[in-house]
Amino acid sequence: MSGETASVSASEVYQRIAANVQRVVRGKPRLVRLAVAALLSEGHLLIEDVPGLGKTTLARCLARSVGGSWSRIQFTPDLLPGDITGVQVYRQSEERFTFQPGGIFANVVVADEINRGTPKTQSALLEVMSERTVTVDAVRHEVPRPFLVIATQNPIEMEGTYRLPEAQLDRFTMRLRVGYPDLATEVMVIMGDCANVSPDDLPAVVDIPTLQAAVAQVRAIRIVPAVVEYAASLAQATRQHVDLRYGASPRGSIALVRAAQAVAATHGRDYVTPDDIKEVAHPVLEHRVILTPDAELNQRRPDVVIDQILAKVPAPVLSAEGR
Amino acid sequence: MRERVLVGCALLAAAIPGLLFAPVFGWRALVAPIAVVLVGCYLVVELCVRFPPLRPWRPLLALVVGLLGVAEVELRDTTLGGLPTGATLRALGAGVTQSWQLALQSTWPVRPDAEVLLFVPLVVLVTAVLGIEALRWPAVAALPGVAALGLSQVFTAVTGPVATAVGLGCAVVVAGLLVASRPRPGQPQPNQPQPNQPQPNQPQPSRRAAAGAPAARGRGAAAVLALPTAVVAVIAAVAVTTVTQGRQPAYSVHQDYAAPAPLPRAVSPLAELAARLENPDVPVFSYTGAGRADRWRLVVLTDFTGVTWTPPDRYRRLGAQVGPQPVVTVPTAPRSARLTLLPGLGDGPWLPSQAMPASVTGAAPLIEPASGVLLLPDRPGPADYGLSWWEPEVDQAALAGAAVDPGAVSEGGLGVVPPGIAELARTATGGKRPSFESALVLEQYLSQNYKVATGANLPTGSAWPQLREFLLTSKRGTSEQFAAAYVALARVVGIPARLAVGYRAPRNSAGDPVVVHNRDALAWPEVAVAGVGWVPLDPTGTAAGAGAAATSLGAVTAQLRAALPPPDPSNPAPPEPAVPDEAAPVPGPPFPVLPVLLGGLAVVVLALVGIPLLKAVRTVRRRRRPGPRGVVAAWLEARDLLRAHGARITPGMTVRDLATAVAPTAGQSVVDGLLRLAGRVDTALWSGAGASAATVNEAWAAVRDIRRGLAARPRLARLRAVFDPRGLFRR
Repeated sequence: MSGETASVSASEVYQRIAANVQRVVRGKPRLVRLAVAALLSEGHLLIEDVPGLGKTTLARCLARSVGGSWSRIQFTPDLLPGDITGVQVYRQSEERFTFQPGGIFANVVVADEINRGTPKTQSALLEVMSERTVTVDAVRHEVPRPFLVIATQNPIEMEGTYRLPEAQLDRFTMRLRVGYPDLATEVMVIMGDCANVSPDDLPAVVDIPTLQAAVAQVRAIRIVPAVVEYAASLAQATRQHVDLRYGASPRGSIALVRAAQAVAATHGRDYVTPDDIKEVAHPVLEHRVILTPDAELNQRRPDVVIDQILAKVPAPVLSAEGR
Repeated sequence: MRERVLVGCALLAAAIPGLLFAPVFGWRALVAPIAVVLVGCYLVVELCVRFPPLRPWRPLLALVVGLLGVAEVELRDTTLGGLPTGATLRALGAGVTQSWQLALQSTWPVRPDAEVLLFVPLVVLVTAVLGIEALRWPAVAALPGVAALGLSQVFTAVTGPVATAVGLGCAVVVAGLLVASRPRPGQPQPNQPQPNQPQPNQPQPSRRAAAGAPAARGRGAAAVLALPTAVVAVIAAVAVTTVTQGRQPAYSVHQDYAAPAPLPRAVSPLAELAARLENPDVPVFSYTGAGRADRWRLVVLTDFTGVTWTPPDRYRRLGAQVGPQPVVTVPTAPRSARLTLLPGLGDGPWLPSQAMPASVTGAAPLIEPASGVLLLPDRPGPADYGLSWWEPEVDQAALAGAAVDPGAVSEGGLGVVPPGIAELARTATGGKRPSFESALVLEQYLSQNYKVATGANLPTGSAWPQLREFLLTSKRGTSEQFAAAYVALARVVGIPARLAVGYRAPRNSAGDPVVVHNRDALAWPEVAVAGVGWVPLDPTGTAAGAGAAATSLGAVTAQLRAALPPPDPSNPAPPEPAVPDEAAPVPGPPFPVLPVLLGGLAVVVLALVGIPLLKAVRTVRRRRRPGPRGVVAAWLEARDLLRAHGARITPGMTVRDLATAVAPTAGQSVVDGLLRLAGRVDTALWSGAGASAATVNEAWAAVRDIRRGLAARPRLARLRAVFDPRGLFRR
């Protein structure tokens, strides 16, 4: 596969991964598109929904579709930071300490049920998710590139879970919700299950060099200043909205543009349109805003607030040109 | 003997504050309960001297005996053969908690009822017991008396010679306490009953005697210092009193209390006036012995918001007797009558009364001191009570040149005076400055120019709309409209007036008892005259000759009324100019119907032609734009087209958003056209490729497709879209 690296476009990479994943994850093309877009923007992905909707399946499918190493860490309350980052082990035969890497040292890390880990353990991910390095006993270890964390969590359980801190949430480029399938899709899912198609059966359809090339291509996708300004205006609007205590950070604005570039690539374009920004606005911004206590009491939801902002902030075609 | 003197002083220290409540209750009411308490306490002291084992129980015994004495004197009705019952105990409890409040809520002097008076003997009893028990320390023994004195002074402060006498009395008491407590050599200390139980804290007599001489010298020096201090203090007090006397009344907690008057939810007598006049033969109350009463008032309404007339609501419990109001300086004579309320009066809480009630027997009503209105909350149907009142005795000279009392109506109010009323008021008083004479001129004006309505379908209401109708249009009303209009007009020109509602005395009031019927219901205005108080007037002219004989005030008013000069013929009946104000429209220039119609038509034609024309011009101009601006112009055109067809456009919409938004309602060709347009917009604006002429043409071709798709809509919707002007003004 490495021989075809130069000739494979980011769009082609998307097509391959999406087709591969959709063999198992049926009826969710938009979800798959956004998930692959997160991969192509080298951003981390948080998949959140009630149990049984295929969060872990999607995460494993994504991990399996990419060649290179992947690992799965099941978060539990007794998981320790060292289990994730790795520890220094004394080798008696060599009479010295050597570093024993933890589960985080892989290209794709599936952090399953991340909110079951204690805050201490969750914090072990902070450094590696933003800087792609792990520091153990004052020694920095780089994780392999590309490096992606695909985490899942269940939002409805409170017992035995620890809500992800805002700093951690901000490190995820997108938060996706799976949603219930419609009737036809559910029938297909059951039949697929009966046919024993599981994520473990999926082949790796892109190798690491190809993926890295695609990521670099995505980075180079053209985006005109008016669209960048539009993305920044959306982030600004979240900071001024009356129902929001805290809006999106500049990291959110950057994520918005990166994700929009990736989405543009999945559409086969080499430039970003305002529609791309809008397409990723919900998954990129929703988990980065915090409602005011009043708004929470009044049952307001972040997605409704984002909808209001999208309707209110002028799209660049109208603001740039007169009548 | 010395101990008896000390006890006497303690009892006197308790009696003086008790008796200082005399302005509240009257001497007679206070003497018996205070005396029985003091005698009881003294007897207990004597008893304990005779029987030393009772000595430790002395305070309790004194309290019990004192309470029994109070119960015998004040609560005899609640006892059973002289023995206290549960009711007695409850009454005593109420005496502690409520009676002082009732006294503060009442007018003074209060009725000498046990429930109001009870707290005074109880205070005296507690003061006496504490004083007696503290006799061991003479200075302390005076303190309870000082505290009770303070209480009495908070209720009502004594001034002048009485205050001097009280001060002397207190000085005597304290001196007696100090002198009598001074041990003589060889004499045991008072209140040291058992010689075999020495008090460790007290000095032995021999030591006291030994120290007697230097102590006496010390006291002499203190007296030398105290005497000039006392003299200076007395001079200062007298000077302050002289300077401030008469300027402001002494403070009393009485000022801060009013009876909680559950203001009646009953219908105002003013509102039911017309209904009463329409059922004239219903008897409402009867009275005996009121030879010279010509009217009976139920309620006085002072506050007018423009809609409702409301009575003042600062009521007090009516005490034993109320004097004439302080503003009345003419002589007054007492009158009295016996009234019996009949079921026809209804269940309103107001009692028929007179302007300045003095006392009521047979009922315990509340009184509004400023207006003299009597109120009996929860009146149990028919009632029978005796009323006495003060009647001012005036002569013609006193009233003829009298000025009005502008401070009498502090809370009057007029609401928003409608146009035309102020002019009418000035005309009606002939432009005279406010005086009793101008008040009579106003009365004459109303009685001569307005008609009293009789029979059925009587006008009702006394808010500004009804008053304006009465004054400027109909000129026909009951006494309700006459009186309310009078008060309103009088207030407009500065005459202090208020509205009274009640009954006139029947003309034929020869019988005994005299029965008052619904037909006698009357509302009348009263004006405040300096020195005389409130003088009732009669703008309807129907109260003249009421009652067996006219009151002094009524007679003098009638004489002055007769002496008024006839209305000035040069100032013709002035309501006439006011009437056209409402009835006939002002004859101005004729309404320009044709120009307005033509103007309207021109606007419609302009809109019908102009809007499509402007849109067409705009489209042509947009179509000419080259490059990316041409593509954007195509998008704006499509957006305006769809907005005219009812699509909801938000500032944040892109072309694809619009396609999604209109998909449910518009045809597929519209959606397809929008999506194609979206592709051209993306290429032109965001790809960096720019827009060739071909791209612009494709964009406008998409707009044409959208137009075709919209042409499939119903004819009416298309017509509306053509003439919809919104797209012209909104970006």
